[in-house]
Amino acid sequence: MSRGESRVYHGVARGRPFEIEVDGEKIVAYEGETIGAALLAAGRRTLRHTNKFEQPRGLYCGIGLCQECRMTINGIPNTQACQTLATPGCRIETQKSFKKRES
Amino acid sequence: MNQSDFVIIGGGPGGISAAIKAAQAGVNVTLLDENERLGGQVFRQLEKGFEVTDPDALGPDFKEGKELLHQFNSMQDKIRYLNNTLVWGIFNDSSLALARYGTSSSLRFKHLLVATGAYDRPVPFPGWTLPGVFTAGGAQKLVKSERVLPGQNILLAGTGPLQLVLADQILKAGGKIEAILEAGNFTKNWLQGLKGIWGNWDFLVEGVRYLRSILKAGVPLLQSHILLEARGDGQVEEAVIAKVDKNWRPRLSSARSVKVDSICLGYGLVSSTELTMLAECEHQYDLRQGGYIPLRKANMETSVPGIFAVGDGAGVAGKKVAIEEGCIAGIAVASALGYISPAKASQQIRSCHKRLSKINRFRKVLDDISLPRPGLCELATDDTVICRCEDVTLKQLKAALADDTIQIKDFKRLTRMGMGPCEGRMCGPSAIEMMRHQLNASAEDVGCLKPRPSIKPVALGVLAANNTMPVVSGRYGGPSTENK
Repeated sequence: MSRGESRVYHGVARGRPFEIEVDGEKIVAYEGETIGAALLAAGRRTLRHTNKFEQPRGLYCGIGLCQECRMTINGIPNTQACQTLATPGCRIETQKSFKKRES
Repeated sequence: MNQSDFVIIGGGPGGISAAIKAAQAGVNVTLLDENERLGGQVFRQLEKGFEVTDPDALGPDFKEGKELLHQFNSMQDKIRYLNNTLVWGIFNDSSLALARYGTSSSLRFKHLLVATGAYDRPVPFPGWTLPGVFTAGGAQKLVKSERVLPGQNILLAGTGPLQLVLADQILKAGGKIEAILEAGNFTKNWLQGLKGIWGNWDFLVEGVRYLRSILKAGVPLLQSHILLEARGDGQVEEAVIAKVDKNWRPRLSSARSVKVDSICLGYGLVSSTELTMLAECEHQYDLRQGGYIPLRKANMETSVPGIFAVGDGAGVAGKKVAIEEGCIAGIAVASALGYISPAKASQQIRSCHKRLSKINRFRKVLDDISLPRPGLCELATDDTVICRCEDVTLKQLKAALADDTIQIKDFKRLTRMGMGPCEGRMCGPSAIEMMRHQLNASAEDVGCLKPRPSIKPVALGVLAANNTMPVVSGRYGGPSTENK
């Protein structure tokens, strides 16, 4: 499905833009955005896969409670994308299921 | 160990109001908040980097919050405010365990106010774990403070006025809403509602404003409608919706599919009571007010002397109630510490209660419409994941239920439900309701998932990086001994 730009420019001026890296791909984030929001704006909705059923999961509660947005951020696993501000050059990886990680 | 006369946990409307009142009376206050910036969910401020060019675009809550925060800032010499601070435990020597910037510390309190707010009630149904399904609160945070829309074509499903607030925010931001599903029905109940609305004109004006914006945009507001299923390959692509009866049970003949790429769920809120539970305050179950909530006296004190609770975390009732309750707690603590005479305090508290009873009349109307009905417990099918962290399905829970003497806590042992990093926040509230429904049991019979420290995941390195942590022993990890 094609996605247009989902950032809203009305009412606020965004901070400076910079690049961040997700699974090797470079995307743009703006100062003040969480990694979760920057990924959503880039059309990336799957943030991890569950261990048992290997189901895709994305942002759900958005306020730091549900833990569905856990990603490996700058090498630290299980970091909440919805609670972590994007910083220039930060490196993010989608978390795979245990099985996929071993193989 | 650090000590403070009055510690407030939570920087939303309740916590801020209490801090202002107590500080005005002369109390030295410590306010701990988990977020980078003050305001809680409803008065959330934008992160550094964003610059607000038109406050009107961010909605009335944003402006209301600014005024309260301005008052708070003017009391800065009496308030020690710590942001980015997680309170992950409370121990029965009146100490709190804090995690902040990668280190831990303890803080002892004379009086404590828990103002930890609430979160969206999780409602499991087929497809609810698909990327593209958001809680209404999460979507609101995205739209309001990150200025990112949750999708290109959005479905809102749930009940209550917060849905209308979210819809208005999405529309103001230029987003497209396919429809708003309201499981309840307010046009059918407007006559009973009139009594509650009478005198609460500001609420009415706010409601009408939201409704007008929705109608103007041509968004269908479908009452007595529910979301049955979210479908898609790896993410939301369509939603199956249907009409419901007064018990929110779907009329399957009316089911139809709509093409959407994201869904926002707002079935009311659940109180965050982890800390009042850890403190062993007495709680009672009240679905209308957000599940288990602490019992409180008129001055907002819980059953544990010196521990107070206000706002949505002590019974979901919205920002206006949180502000009044926060004022009451602030006055009560100031009086207990000798800064206000008891006579003056009780007079001030009485006037807060007068305003509260007027607001609560209106709340009752909304709650009558939005109280979760049995149909909501029947949406999940055998394959639906109930515990998102541990991938536990309804089928597994049903198998465990074959032993009808079990309580909800036994699900942990039998299925691993509630053992994951969300610590039972996403599965607990719906599992309680489904169990009550299935077994026709009371909340007392079902019990609750008791929180344990740490109430949120804390890295071992953070625990290690400290020199003031209590030695963990005994029940709930307390009583603690000071370890200097």
